[in-house]
Amino acid sequence: MIEKIEINRLLPLVFKGMEDTERIRASQIWEQPSFVFEKGCKICIQAESGWGKSSLLSFIYGNRGDYSGSIAFDSVDIRALGVKRWCEIRTSSIALLPQEMRLFPELTVIQNISVKNDLTGHKTPAEIDDLLHRLGIADKKEAMARNLSIGQQQRVAIVRAVCQPFDFIFLDEPVSHLDEANNRIVAQIVEEEAERQSAGIVSTSVGNHLLLSNPKFVSL
Amino acid sequence: MKSNRNIWSLLKRNISKGQLAGYILSNIVGLTVVLAGIMFYVDSNSGGEDDDQFFSRDYIVLSKKVEGLGFKPAVFSQADIAKLERQPWAKRVGEFTSSQFAVKGSLSMGGREMSSYMFFESVPDDFFDVKPQEWAFDPEDGFVPIIVSKDYLALYNFGFAMPQGLPQVSEELVGMVPIKLQLAGAAHCPETFNAAIVGFSSRLNTIAVPQEFMDWANARYAGAGDNPDPSRLIVQVDRLAGADIDAYLQAEGIEAAGDQSSQGNISKFLSTASVVVTTNGLLISVLAVFILILSIFLLLQKSKGKIRSLMLLGYSPREISSYYERIVISVNLIVTIVAVAAAVIFRRVWAEPLSEIGLGGASALPIAISALAYLLIVTAINIVVIRRYVMKIWNNG
Repeated sequence: MIEKIEINRLLPLVFKGMEDTERIRASQIWEQPSFVFEKGCKICIQAESGWGKSSLLSFIYGNRGDYSGSIAFDSVDIRALGVKRWCEIRTSSIALLPQEMRLFPELTVIQNISVKNDLTGHKTPAEIDDLLHRLGIADKKEAMARNLSIGQQQRVAIVRAVCQPFDFIFLDEPVSHLDEANNRIVAQIVEEEAERQSAGIVSTSVGNHLLLSNPKFVSL
Repeated sequence: MKSNRNIWSLLKRNISKGQLAGYILSNIVGLTVVLAGIMFYVDSNSGGEDDDQFFSRDYIVLSKKVEGLGFKPAVFSQADIAKLERQPWAKRVGEFTSSQFAVKGSLSMGGREMSSYMFFESVPDDFFDVKPQEWAFDPEDGFVPIIVSKDYLALYNFGFAMPQGLPQVSEELVGMVPIKLQLAGAAHCPETFNAAIVGFSSRLNTIAVPQEFMDWANARYAGAGDNPDPSRLIVQVDRLAGADIDAYLQAEGIEAAGDQSSQGNISKFLSTASVVVTTNGLLISVLAVFILILSIFLLLQKSKGKIRSLMLLGYSPREISSYYERIVISVNLIVTIVAVAAAVIFRRVWAEPLSEIGLGGASALPIAISALAYLLIVTAINIVVIRRYVMKIWNNG
């Protein structure tokens, strides 16, 4: 269980030396003394591309360590976490939908989802079918991931992301290739899942943001 | 750890079947050569100890150097013998017992009688390379079996008979010649015994009678308690210690007789051959293991993206490693089983020639142990390589 994620004077190493520029000073997260994601929050992070959205999520997910400053889960610096703890966090505390989705092109849609769900045992086959149905890709269940359009792949990746219990879900440009109708369905699904677990939602975008109800907008 | 079919089919795709087949094939060849080499070494070092076909390769006959005219008898004291027995290369030591009585042997051929004074020696029966059926003595019976050196017959046939125009004789013919022995000593009046040459030894350069006859006759004719120190010893030696033996004998002023050098050469050749073969096999195996490690690196390198994705989904490095570990365990198991089978089949090639010289038939245990050791060591190396590389991927390497 993670109640809050605290970020202190965080800055990607590639931005080193830019601390005093107008852009960094305007940022609500980079180099800020204390920025906190609370459990139950609903945040849309907006930024121009190349401004480190994906880096931020990679840092929080323990996937990259090329930053200065610190990130802490309930006051524990994440740099101190071991392999076992990270595996627990990734299967039961924090869900991530990476921008590049990271689906396995040589597996089918259902296999891609099962790779995650087999690990967590979170969803029943019927629940997965229901999600695929709501997102309009139930007929693609046995299709190879490589044969899907980017929009379809995004929807598969969203189903896979919610196949685990979480305290926070981070979505990196989840609807960049979806129309408004699908955007609303995705937002609805994510909010349902988050509400059921009192979890926080953090979604990034460069423009087409996830249509959450009453989100807080933060600019990176 | 539970196996996930999806992960399996995901990671399996990057396995290069060609590389894997190359590894399996080259390693089977290498390991087979190693095992066959070890097997050959073990076989050429073992022989039926209680066999009639005793191969006289491991024996040397020792005597003290005679200095000057030699009034002081050159004999081995009990201390000398005890010291010799303590040498790591001396497996068994046998004493020669000399006859302490007078022997006159006579034989009649075509009405003509020939006679000569002679002597006997005996060694414990275990040290003979031949053991004829008649090799026993019973005072009631009064028959004395004799074994003489093969060299004596050769000396007569090729050195004496041919130039003199006399007929050459075979071992069987010599055995048929009846010999009369007259034994006499201080303790008993002369008696006559029947005797015959029942065998020819290529190990013992003497005229040998059974130990039981010698003990009986020495007591009867020379008087009880007259049991002098032996002047010659027969020693079963560890052939691998040739240099140690030479150094010891030189230091102790002992001379070695017999054809130890040529026998040593045969055994040295067999040992060297198996060492060369085993070394070559090891070299092939080591190269094959390098191929496997290289293949593992390439495989993990190719799968790096997938492995990172799995890690982001929450799979632990240990869990991911386990899939690769299963591959190497199966592959090494196949290699080991096939190589053991091949080595056992190869064994037939040398089993017969070796058994003809009284060798072979060793237990296959050393092969089983070597194969198991190979399996464990190589698999352990593979697993360490896999785990380290997967951990490197976790650390974003």
